[in-house]
Amino acid sequence: MRRKFKDLPLRGVVLATALAVLTACGPKEPASEGGTPDLRRLTEEQYRNTIADVFGPTITYGGRFDPLQRTDGLIALGARTARVTPSGFEQYYALADSISAQVVDEAHRETLVACKPASATAADDACAQAFFGEIGRVLYRRPLTDGEIKTAVTAAHEVGTTTGDFYQGLAYGLAGMMTTPKFLFVVDATEPDPDHQGQVRLTSYAHASRLSFLLWNSAPDDMLLTAAEKGELYSKSGLEKQIERMVASPKVEGGVRAFFTDFLDLRKFETLQKDPVIYPAFNAKTGEDAKEQILRTITDHVATRDLDYRDLFTTRRTFLTPALARIYKVPAGRPDGGWTDYEFPDKDLRGGLLSQIGFLAVNAHPGRSSPTIRGRAIRETLLCQKVPDPPGNVDFSLFNDPDSPNKTARQRLTTHATNPTCAGCHKITDPIGLGLENFDGVGSLRMAENGEAIDPAGDLDGVAFKDPAGLAKAMRKSPAAPTCLVNRLYAYALGRPIETSDKDTVAYFQQVFARDGYRVPQLLRRIAGSDAFFKVRPPKADAATQAATNDSAPKENPS
Amino acid sequence: MSLRRSVLTLSILGLCACFAAPVAAADGGTLGFVVREWYIALHESKFMDECPEGLTMGNDEIWWRSAPKDFRAKVTDNGLARSSIRYYEVMDRGKNGEDVCLNPTSIVDPPLRVVEGKIGYGHNIDGTQDGHATAKTCKHDKFQSPDGKKTDIDNQMARLVGCSFGWRKTGMIQLNGNEVRATSGYGMVLMEVTGVNEKDPRNSDNVTVTFYRSIDQFAMDSAGQPLPFSTYRIDTLDGKPRYSDSLKGKITNGVLTTERGDVRLPAYDNFNFGHPTIKDMAVTLEIAADGSAGKGMVSGYYDVEEFWYLTAGVGQVLQTGQFSCPAMYVAAHKLADGYPDPKTGECTHLSVGYNVKAYAAFVQHPDKERRQATR
Repeated sequence: MRRKFKDLPLRGVVLATALAVLTACGPKEPASEGGTPDLRRLTEEQYRNTIADVFGPTITYGGRFDPLQRTDGLIALGARTARVTPSGFEQYYALADSISAQVVDEAHRETLVACKPASATAADDACAQAFFGEIGRVLYRRPLTDGEIKTAVTAAHEVGTTTGDFYQGLAYGLAGMMTTPKFLFVVDATEPDPDHQGQVRLTSYAHASRLSFLLWNSAPDDMLLTAAEKGELYSKSGLEKQIERMVASPKVEGGVRAFFTDFLDLRKFETLQKDPVIYPAFNAKTGEDAKEQILRTITDHVATRDLDYRDLFTTRRTFLTPALARIYKVPAGRPDGGWTDYEFPDKDLRGGLLSQIGFLAVNAHPGRSSPTIRGRAIRETLLCQKVPDPPGNVDFSLFNDPDSPNKTARQRLTTHATNPTCAGCHKITDPIGLGLENFDGVGSLRMAENGEAIDPAGDLDGVAFKDPAGLAKAMRKSPAAPTCLVNRLYAYALGRPIETSDKDTVAYFQQVFARDGYRVPQLLRRIAGSDAFFKVRPPKADAATQAATNDSAPKENPS
Repeated sequence: MSLRRSVLTLSILGLCACFAAPVAAADGGTLGFVVREWYIALHESKFMDECPEGLTMGNDEIWWRSAPKDFRAKVTDNGLARSSIRYYEVMDRGKNGEDVCLNPTSIVDPPLRVVEGKIGYGHNIDGTQDGHATAKTCKHDKFQSPDGKKTDIDNQMARLVGCSFGWRKTGMIQLNGNEVRATSGYGMVLMEVTGVNEKDPRNSDNVTVTFYRSIDQFAMDSAGQPLPFSTYRIDTLDGKPRYSDSLKGKITNGVLTTERGDVRLPAYDNFNFGHPTIKDMAVTLEIAADGSAGKGMVSGYYDVEEFWYLTAGVGQVLQTGQFSCPAMYVAAHKLADGYPDPKTGECTHLSVGYNVKAYAAFVQHPDKERRQATR
């Protein structure tokens, strides 16, 4: 059985040596201007991960979060312009109320509240101070200031005294902490850069947050905060030590899943509906499984087995549940439920991400396939190319005519595209999307539509293919695919859109990604260990933002 | 047995109907089906011509007609008593208070009305054209098909139950039996066809059809219909299939036809379990062009006592059946046309034809079960 690299002895030495050799021999990271500091609202997943990391998995809660706007191809970029609406705040408060009540209940207080009050029926400021100091450090991702601790302790004191219940007071103070922007927003706190006069740099704790949310999609743990406290993240060796520790952690899978969920816009599954008369085998559970299948396939390929990212477009290895197996028309490994691995035969038309139900069903209509939607998704999501929106007055009558002699989507689209207004964009999308016409609106294999044979031939940027397997190979060879991944991952890591000034840095990461054999974990290491990842520049004449940023910034070394 | 064979062949079978799928021939040809519908094939004409005297009388009606008015009023509390109270009065009308369904010879009821029409469905099981007695059969009448092309059909079971309300389309016995099989997962029959021609699976000269029981329930859609291409595990005992009788056969233009042989099957009818062996059983199954389903006929000889065990044991569903147990029991023996008792010469089995509908399925064998989830 193959051992995971992280389990090998001396892996740190090997990695460090490899990285040093690569760095020495390969291209040098160019200087970066960095971006302006931002505030980013925690995503729902980050919120949940943080709560699970801090309080454990036995704290349960429901609730919904205000949705984030997908911007420049990523939800992560929408987080920087997100606000908290009044109803959204109510939700946050309800969540905080529920979570804090559980943290102090009799089932959890022994393990989650480190100190014991002198009396459970009266306020105990010393115990409260110890609790808020410890928990607040992880929630705020930095040590609390004296003022912040005092605010929480005072609130706990008043409620504890009024109710005659120390733990109620503690819960009240905790709920207050969890509803402040300091918890709900990740702040790019800055400080003057001592090495560069007139410039700013991220604080050590902001370093830790960037690392943690990139690699784990969660808040920094105690070790990372301690490293930040000691200033170790400012040194190359200290930073690399933390990166290696984090990449070796099982939590890195959460980071990989979060990025690909965002990159592939898997949020679409939340609202995915199919016509149950046309596709009786597809239901909400199938949709959940299809999303999970994509994520399992990706994490297995890029993280667990550390394989070439480009091979994701052709890999025949995947994972199935009975609900998915039914649509793929293959046997389920466990008919009673659960996941099993599966490998499509070598000459099967199916292989790679594009032929998975998750991609095919999401990028289709409720009752039929859509070469245009699928082609657009490939262009925009996987190749980072912009396809213009259709005009508002587009005439679909020829396409949708039920009496049309056109039986296949190719025939209907050919008729539809006789309109020159439509033809331009359809030329961009359809030759790719038609390559997936062997898969119906939920992704089941078919060779004919309305009794007429499907012609799945097409081309991707000049590379001709004759069937879905050919399209998969064309995607595998497309230079735009890995380039797109690098662009999106870098923007995701920074939490801001790529700017013109980032051009050289992005080109550098594209080069090293290729040199590293298109390995995503190594790309994560490269980005996390780069100067550009932490580089910030002062905001331009935006006094209000600067003031807010500085207010939120922790005082370094509060001890 | 490889499940992958099923995958490829099912795909090929479906696709070959119209277009050659670009799937290479695989390492074997296997088809799988899960049987969803299993009904005695009855011919029911618009004006019930097959039952010229009308439907037969039920246990309840016979009791009602034979009981004095005052007694009926007392038992039913002038119609205010629960129907279950009346049910037991009706059933326990044997000479010594016996349940007349569990002990159908305890009294004699008026004769059962049976099908007298000429038209019916099924196969020629005895091989004769006129139903004369042979070493394995007793003299009986043949049915002819609705189009008149076949005049040698054996289906004495249909003749027996065809004029009893509970067995017909609007009755509950067969309908409920099929529905409880669907919802409980008991008595589900799996059919696995092996030896399928990989290049032309709709024409395979030498196949084997094996019958198993599933331990997984039907995978259904939101409308309650089975979802094709689901996977079902077979029932095993000590690592071997609990049911696994098989028949030789062939597929011609998408129609599966088997030779005859004895097949032991799981049965679950209206809350009563059994495992009858259908003697000289054969199957014809017309497989849909897309390979997702098949419908056809199962025929053979059904043991009268096994039939009675399953029928009499269904409890209160009998109340909806509206037939007399003593009368049907007598008629069943009278109509039996297969397997004469060596001592008495009376036949012990009823010829039968069942309409069946099956859905494409992957049949999972014990060696493939419980594959370890990788993550």
